[in-house]
Amino acid sequence: MTAVVLAAIFAGTWLAAVYRENGSQAVFLPDRVMTLFPAPKPLAAFAFTDQENRVFDLSRLKGKWSFLFFGYTHCPDICPTTLATLARARENIAKSAAGAKDVQFVFISVDPNRDTAGKLGQYVAYFDATFLGVTGGNAQLGNLAGQLGAAYQVEVKPGVENYPVYHTSAVFLVDPQARYIAVFAPPLDAEEISRRFEVLRQLEGRKAA
Amino acid sequence: MRWRHAVFACLILALASISAAAEEAGVSVSDAWVRETPPGMAMTAGYMVLQNKTSQRQVLVAARSSGFQSVMIHRSITKQGMTGMEHSPQVELLPHASLPFAPGGYHLMLLNPKRSLRAGDRVEIQLEFRSGLVLPVAYEVRK
Repeated sequence: MTAVVLAAIFAGTWLAAVYRENGSQAVFLPDRVMTLFPAPKPLAAFAFTDQENRVFDLSRLKGKWSFLFFGYTHCPDICPTTLATLARARENIAKSAAGAKDVQFVFISVDPNRDTAGKLGQYVAYFDATFLGVTGGNAQLGNLAGQLGAAYQVEVKPGVENYPVYHTSAVFLVDPQARYIAVFAPPLDAEEISRRFEVLRQLEGRKAA
Repeated sequence: MRWRHAVFACLILALASISAAAEEAGVSVSDAWVRETPPGMAMTAGYMVLQNKTSQRQVLVAARSSGFQSVMIHRSITKQGMTGMEHSPQVELLPHASLPFAPGGYHLMLLNPKRSLRAGDRVEIQLEFRSGLVLPVAYEVRK
């Protein structure tokens, strides 16, 4: 318990850890960086394909913490910035005592028209060799986006190579029971994300124990 | 001997007028960088901090580079919870103010680089202002 309180203190003022003798209880204060849901929302079935053409469905979210980010590869500003930030956050998490073995980062392309499995693989690996790149049909993209409260819009125009794409730039966190538990709002910062995640993972681990 | 003095004076005058012109131009650029292109990608973005040192507003109207098929001034904007890019035909710099081109905001959208860009490379982009000022700027490629 002391370790958690200390972790909370080192992590900053955003976490108010309140411990009682009859059972520990922690309260995350409202935070600009991360919104944590007191009642995580179980996700329903969806079906995508990953960069190696394997099925990426609900079962792939179980047993791991998943950071999900919607984007597209023909995106010169927000997507590479976010993926580079997430790569640094992953590096931080990998250096922590608990490591990053139970954590995955998933880039969900909302532009399956241009983002083939091969392109996605090449793209995400550039940022981090462990990153996953997935995409699916419009119905499936809409399905998961809807469950997470994410929005996107692709304005495919015939003959136009660089058509506009709009997407939520938040990062969604799904817990190892495939429940939507938290969301990170931009502007994203690698250290802020990894610190909050490490404390959350520790607290959730204690709850499960 | 006298003609030498005259030449020297002319030289000084010439130098002084060049520096006055530079002062008049009065827009400086710092921290100019371009993001390295991920493999297979034909687009990237350029960033910098523009500083208007004059007492008049300066308007950036275009950017050009022989290193890319096209360069456009873009801005990432968030509307109804979604982020996208829009073309900014001009960007106004207020007198004695600086304006950052940074991830998530204004950026130069660089399309189809003529060669793949690796961290440490340099690319030149000319910034054109409404006043007629053209600033050649060296951008460092960073990962």
